[in-house]
Amino acid sequence: MAQRDDKSVSATLAAATCALLGGTASAPVKAQEEPKWEFNTALLYYGEDDDRVQDASLSILAIRDFLDEQSLALGLSVDTLTGATPSGANRSNGAQTFTRPSGRGAYTTAAGDLPLDDTFRDTRVSLSANWQQPLGRMNLVNVGATASREYDYTHLGVNGGIARDFNQRNTSVSAGIAISRDTWDVVGGSPEPLSLMSDVGDLGNRTGEDSKDVIDVVLGVTQVISRDLITQFNYSYSDSSGYLNDPYKIVSVVDATSGDTVPRQRGPGVEGPDYQYRFESRPDNRAKHSLYGQAKYYMDGKVLDASYRYMTDDWEIDSHTIDLRYRWPMGENGYLEPHFRFYTQTEAEFYTIGIVDGEPLPSYASADYRLGDFDATTIGLKYGWTTAGGSDLSVRVELYSQDGDIPSDRLRGNQIGYVEYPDLDALIVQFSYRFSR
Amino acid sequence: MPGAGPQRKLEISREEGCWKAQFLAMGSPCELLCDDDDEVAARAAAQAVATESWRIEDKFSRYLRGNIIDRINRAGGARIDVDEETARLIDFAVTLYELSDRRFDITSGSLRRVWTFDGSANVPKKADVDAVLERVGWHKVEWHGSALRIPPGMEIDLGGIGKEYAVDRAAAMARDQTTASCLVNFGGDLAVSREPSTRDAWSVGIEALGGGAYAPDTIIRLSAGALATSGDAQRFLLKDGVRYSHILDPRTGWPVQGAPASITVAADTCVQAGMLSTLAMLQGEGAEAFLEAQGCQYWLGQARCA
Amino acid sequence: MAGCSNMGVESWDRDVLAKDEMQLIVDPLEAATDDHIYFSKEASSGGRSFGGGGCGCN
Repeated sequence: MAQRDDKSVSATLAAATCALLGGTASAPVKAQEEPKWEFNTALLYYGEDDDRVQDASLSILAIRDFLDEQSLALGLSVDTLTGATPSGANRSNGAQTFTRPSGRGAYTTAAGDLPLDDTFRDTRVSLSANWQQPLGRMNLVNVGATASREYDYTHLGVNGGIARDFNQRNTSVSAGIAISRDTWDVVGGSPEPLSLMSDVGDLGNRTGEDSKDVIDVVLGVTQVISRDLITQFNYSYSDSSGYLNDPYKIVSVVDATSGDTVPRQRGPGVEGPDYQYRFESRPDNRAKHSLYGQAKYYMDGKVLDASYRYMTDDWEIDSHTIDLRYRWPMGENGYLEPHFRFYTQTEAEFYTIGIVDGEPLPSYASADYRLGDFDATTIGLKYGWTTAGGSDLSVRVELYSQDGDIPSDRLRGNQIGYVEYPDLDALIVQFSYRFSR
Repeated sequence: MPGAGPQRKLEISREEGCWKAQFLAMGSPCELLCDDDDEVAARAAAQAVATESWRIEDKFSRYLRGNIIDRINRAGGARIDVDEETARLIDFAVTLYELSDRRFDITSGSLRRVWTFDGSANVPKKADVDAVLERVGWHKVEWHGSALRIPPGMEIDLGGIGKEYAVDRAAAMARDQTTASCLVNFGGDLAVSREPSTRDAWSVGIEALGGGAYAPDTIIRLSAGALATSGDAQRFLLKDGVRYSHILDPRTGWPVQGAPASITVAADTCVQAGMLSTLAMLQGEGAEAFLEAQGCQYWLGQARCA
Repeated sequence: MAGCSNMGVESWDRDVLAKDEMQLIVDPLEAATDDHIYFSKEASSGGRSFGGGGCGCN
């Protein structure tokens, strides 16, 4: 389709109209669409196999555009968590009993089973608010706040940012900062790091409330490369300080030769552990750096979205993430979007599968599988469509798989072939509905 | 069909803080809203607007005998000298013909003879379309100064420009008659005479752009300038699962493919808004790219289920 | 970055970039949900926006 320089059509038309109407002065047009609320809603199911974590959540994000590029976004999310998660303790040939974190009551894991802790079962509510507005002609400023609450955890945060356009809006530079204060309020108090798990009713090794402060800074550049290609590059820095432990995670105390978990004498007539476990301990500071790049490429109706992220921190964890999505129109109003994500991380410097009995205690130790060495793959498919009324619906199904490795030179005695990284397989299903009123 | 007589009624009523005048012209329900308490000024404006609209209709309607359009179309190849206003409209049409790469062509009315968009499956045969195409094409017309000669069998139709022209003329008249802000609305083509002072803006609804029964209308707050809409989801043909829109490409004689069901554009004048939406429609699949390139505000309607 | 000052498109060529599906984050709710899931199961977070978090996991 041969086109003249499209820009000149408007100018020529304006001149021709002036000639037609006899140059009767008319004011420049002022038309604004009456702002509506746009509601984004999503229902999510996340379920791991082997009786591990299951999560169901409902989220709503309401966005209202006001005149002159101002906009308000309000979010509400409710999550219910059930199931259980690996506590960090190793499997054993004998049944294992653990005192609950609250100090009241205990639970038992059968012989040979991976110990799973279900204490975190709970409902979480989170809220967010964000206001955006222009500052002068080329800048956009935003401020926001977030808060969330579970029975044992509270989060409060504020954030702000600014973005500026250059180069005929082909380049955009942005900077943002977020500050938050998160507080643990563990029933019974947070356990003293590296202290031994004690009998039911014994709260001698507990401290009170604990909190952490997190500062995140993001610097980004968005660059239009061509009519069909846009890219973004971000650098982020994150600093957490304070109580960074997971108060529910433990590490088995193991024999130096056999690798078996070391037994323990219970108090007379009380319930409690028959083996030794110590509560984990992480440093009280963590600094992370991330580099992120994304490109979106339009190919005749189809869109390829590719991104890569590199993260490194002072706990010696390095990670790489590759995320690919390919959106492909189906019919007049629908689309199909396959999704592939690959993630790999190296273990934290203090990640361990057991504290060796008899040796001096390390400064830090954690058997939390999320700090270990693993690869994770996500494969998903999303189908979306626009209804006759102009609303957007979509459904996606994804499979998330974590596959970890404990190098054999780490394993002692009977641990070989017995103690393994607790591989994870999860199903994610989400329904989304977006409409305007 | 239009003409002087019982249809030429002007009704004036008071509604929601405005004076509302209604009448029929150019095949559409027309209204003038005046944001004013002064009934006298409102009536004067309404009368001026209605009179001018009927004048334009009488002069340029292709259904009336004896007007300039009729004389041109029945000249049988003879040269006709046109008046200054007609010359301006024809010059404008020529500019659009060139701007649109010959897609906008006031001689394309003849295609009506083979295309009737009544929702049926009566798609004409290629041979019939080719035959009619002989009688289409502005390049076959001689236009110099104010003299027009069209080959016998060809006709011109200013319907594609007429309504928007009338809206802008009406807005100008209303502006002369009253200092209050008036909204001219001729069947969905609108213009504001001057910026409102007692209200923020005129609220205008564009019918459910989502295309469904439950879609909310889009409301536009217009305080200056004009809005025009092209397209009509009701007029089409459907044969063998293929939908033929009523927007014809005069270069081929066949409907434009892939255009949105409706395009509404906001611009300084109704003529500009109408021409931008028409030119965009004529681009078919390229409509949205064209509108983005012009940098104008626009709203697209999706196709409804046939 | 000096070369970037000339890269890009004219304002009238932005039709593709204006499409919904070409926005860097198409669905903010889905992005937030994913960020939250991966934050809870892995040791990394954020990248394209803030670190996520705000929950008693990780």
